[in-house]
Amino acid sequence: MSRTISESTWGYPIVAALHVLAIVLFGLAVLIPHLQVHVRELDTDVRWIRRAGMGLILFTGVLVFASGASRYYESTSFRIKMGLLVLIALNAVASRQHRNRFNSAVAIVLWAAIIFASRGIAFL
Amino acid sequence: MADFIKQSWVFPVVQSVHLIGLTMLVGSIGLVDLRLLGIGRRQPIAEFASDLAPWTTGGLLTVLITGPLMFGSDLTRYMNNPAFLLKMGLLAVALSGQFTLHRRVVRDSGTSSSPRQKLTAVFSLILWSSVVLAGRAIADFDLRVV
Repeated sequence: MSRTISESTWGYPIVAALHVLAIVLFGLAVLIPHLQVHVRELDTDVRWIRRAGMGLILFTGVLVFASGASRYYESTSFRIKMGLLVLIALNAVASRQHRNRFNSAVAIVLWAAIIFASRGIAFL
Repeated sequence: MADFIKQSWVFPVVQSVHLIGLTMLVGSIGLVDLRLLGIGRRQPIAEFASDLAPWTTGGLLTVLITGPLMFGSDLTRYMNNPAFLLKMGLLAVALSGQFTLHRRVVRDSGTSSSPRQKLTAVFSLILWSSVVLAGRAIADFDLRVV
């Protein structure tokens, strides 16, 4: 699969575009529990959208990685991004036990940071 | 100013902020569209949309500031990019639909929606997704290697 993507001219642009689209469509939904707007109603409304969205973001991300794996291993920004992803997962587990303003703020900052790190992959 | 933005570290930062604005704008509109399509039902759709309205407005302001900053840094580069021109055309259609038809459909909706309202949601999702995809394609049609 990864060879099919990396060896075709349009493979990479297409999976990269789908990854960006998944983030733009579902990035806000993923963060909804941490945004202080009528949290409860919104959260219940969008729980399944949130889960499916996170799944799509990760799935397309893996495809992008697979299409250029060796290039990514060497990128500092990519390593930072993966580190941030681990922190996001840990923070999500902590938020499950006890959600407060602190871990909500951490979640928002980490997601913003991951977008900056992702842009950095093209440059660093 | 244009040279400052073209500097190696400034451009990706502006681009990142643009992407964050886009997730706020399209993310909030997309959620309302999914509600119109019948996914998740608890809160009236109009109320749901107004809860998310600050994110739509904030996102719109963010992309309308960062977009022209990038465009202004190299006019000829963008004016010669077919993906950019397509994006601007799609954006014009998406924005005018958003503040006329889409707004009216959301206002008139209850906790569920009619087929006509669902059709509007489908068009909205397709249009905004096309704006995003055309935006991403600007990099693929860029003649200057960044």
